[in-house]
Amino acid sequence: MKLIADRLDRISPSLTIAMTAKARALKAAGKDVIGLSSGEPDFDTPRNVKDAAIAAIERGETKYTDVAGTTELRKAICTKFKRDSGIDYTPEEILVATGGKQVIFDALVATINPGDEAIIPAPCWVSYPDIVALAEGTPVIVQCGQNAGFKMTGEQLEAAITPKTKWLILNNPCNPTGAAYNAAELKALTDVLMRHPHVWIFTDDIYEKLAYDGFKPATVLEVEPRLKDRTVTMNGCSKAYAMTGWRIGFAGAPISLIKAMDKLQSQSTSNTSSVSQAAAVEALTGPQESIEDMRKVYERRRNMVVDMLNAAPGLRCHKPEGAFYVFPDMRGCIGKTTAGGKKIETDEDFTIALLEEAGVATVHGAAFLSPGHFRISYATSDAALSEACTRIQKFCAGMK
Amino acid sequence: MPALAERLSRVSVSASVIMTIKARELAAQGIKVISLASGEPDFPSPPHAIEAAHQAALAGDTKYPPQDGTRRLKEAVQRKFKRDNNLDYALDEIMVTNGGKQSIFNAFMATIDPGDEVLIPAPFWISYAEMAKVAGGVPVTINCPQNNGFKLRPEDLDAAITPKTKWVMLNFPNNPTGAACSRAEMQAIAAVLMKHPHVWIMTDDMYEHLIYDGFEFCTIADVEPRLKDRTLTVNGASKTYAMTGWRIGFCGGPKALIKGMMNMQGQATAGVSTISQAAVAAALDGPQDLVRERAEEYRQRRDLVVEMLNAAPGISCHKPEGAFYVFPNIAGCIGKTSKGGRKIETDSDFAMALLEEKYVATVQGTAYGMSPYLRISYATNTENLREACGRIQEFCRELS
Repeated sequence: MKLIADRLDRISPSLTIAMTAKARALKAAGKDVIGLSSGEPDFDTPRNVKDAAIAAIERGETKYTDVAGTTELRKAICTKFKRDSGIDYTPEEILVATGGKQVIFDALVATINPGDEAIIPAPCWVSYPDIVALAEGTPVIVQCGQNAGFKMTGEQLEAAITPKTKWLILNNPCNPTGAAYNAAELKALTDVLMRHPHVWIFTDDIYEKLAYDGFKPATVLEVEPRLKDRTVTMNGCSKAYAMTGWRIGFAGAPISLIKAMDKLQSQSTSNTSSVSQAAAVEALTGPQESIEDMRKVYERRRNMVVDMLNAAPGLRCHKPEGAFYVFPDMRGCIGKTTAGGKKIETDEDFTIALLEEAGVATVHGAAFLSPGHFRISYATSDAALSEACTRIQKFCAGMK
Repeated sequence: MPALAERLSRVSVSASVIMTIKARELAAQGIKVISLASGEPDFPSPPHAIEAAHQAALAGDTKYPPQDGTRRLKEAVQRKFKRDNNLDYALDEIMVTNGGKQSIFNAFMATIDPGDEVLIPAPFWISYAEMAKVAGGVPVTINCPQNNGFKLRPEDLDAAITPKTKWVMLNFPNNPTGAACSRAEMQAIAAVLMKHPHVWIMTDDMYEHLIYDGFEFCTIADVEPRLKDRTLTVNGASKTYAMTGWRIGFCGGPKALIKGMMNMQGQATAGVSTISQAAVAAALDGPQDLVRERAEEYRQRRDLVVEMLNAAPGISCHKPEGAFYVFPNIAGCIGKTSKGGRKIETDSDFAMALLEEKYVATVQGTAYGMSPYLRISYATNTENLREACGRIQEFCRELS
């Protein structure tokens, strides 16, 4: 009998992890590598949040909590949704999970039957289609090109919906492109959704706080409250509060779905760390200044990176509204040969040669289902970014 | 609401959770409820673990951890397996999970195809069966009767194995009975498994250190090293170190299995809270005196509870070797009527009447696959235990 179940064969091996492993190996071999491949804030968790965690431990908050999270944290999440998006949720409509990823896993694995379809605009975080596939559903990928600002139109959505569509998965602002929808842009999508009452909406708003030039990313229920009985509004602490390691994600959704997600989670991991939950309460309800401080720094970095990349021959970099990624088009380099003698046929050739010859780790676009591009995370210091972009410019200029 | 996924409709909510919630509701009305329903140590987490968590937060150890666990914790787990179990696992044969539950969930999801059978000695922790069902497997129970000390008889195991058997679950000391296996008993089980090379073995050793009267714990991969290449050894910090809320489980197993489990976890939750990992590394590597002191405390409680329950008319309570549960038989109470006028037809009736009339929360044996029994957790202080057992005696005396 073979050991591994068929469901795992449906998941593609993570290309991001492959790239990170390669960069780590080069670094270990003593090579000077600048890592722009990780989707993680370079800031430390705010001190007030750490102190709240320590205080919780001292109070003995080290026991099992309800699977869906402590009452205190679920109330804080309700406050957050009301304050930031004007959405009214009760604590019974909230679930806390181990990272935003588990919210996605819980929702999709609890609802998808074989053959159910989930519409996913691409470029996208590959975990969405992978989790859909793991749940035996069919990911329906809708390509949203750079010329459309990497955003899906109402027409594209309308064309993708079938009687088998169970979910639309939105990620606003988006990993890997940084593209974000404002209220007017989102309205075009929610109008379509109002005509298709069998479609559920999962909106991953984890990068909500990271938007620039005064842009305000909207969330589905702000724009169309009538979708509330079929929308999951997902968010978390990782990106806004630099709390990736604490593993706190959460969602608001109709009670019947929250109950189903709770049931699944009760049989996979139970509650999220009680200590991390206490930290999250402080993050959501304590002083919020650290968000704005970090946001300003990201905005400055984005501007620098976009300018420098657009000065590199063969690259064309869209300036996105949010997140901490840019997703430059590298198709102008295809067919050329690097200074190191490597022929560039694909985006993967490009990123591997860039890593090996220039010591800059990025992730190729195919890892986000959009070949011809690569992803740069600017969640690293200005100095490292400036040096990395200079290396990219030289790398591109050295191609023949 | 779209129909939930078929896999979820096969899953039920845990009875111990239902009882705990019911007890909490009564307590909220101002009634003094004594809960013996929860499988959670009443002690605080060890001080050196708490200190390590503080240090980790302050030092900024708050970033994404590797999916399989931090190197620091994996090395501590490696030392633990060697020190306590004489097992040599390489670092790539170890992974860290959100509670022991996720180790089991990962293993089942990574290996079970529809129709694969999971053999579970009963009585058993209900989550084993539920997780097998989520993964599309078929739980098959093997009865371990009280007259054999609730232990697995080799001939029963042999008879239950079919060509479709993928896993055998072992959990000694056992939840809910407290039964443990001697080395000779484990050798007899191992001898059966040696005859069936297609069967994988999962041993949940969570209660390893809670074992009394000089009884010696053993684990199957140590007892029969030739089974190690198809055994997953699961353990964690929750019960040994009173660290339930921190959510740290871990396991050792063959590299191919661990790799599949990592792929699974990568889609479900990714890594585990860094703060919790730092705390558990300190618990595993730090002084172990607390573990022994607490075991002695649990032993005294067990003796008290067994004695008092056996003095209750209609109850017969086996004295088990380990864990912090006893599993009294209540056959002598069936068919009677409580003082409050409730007819006791089943152990569920008994547990519900006991809660509603005497305010003692327990869990009915049927929730663990064997009736008519009760599960009583003695992980609460002696005063509460004495009071609760007194109420149970009174409840039984008043049956007519």
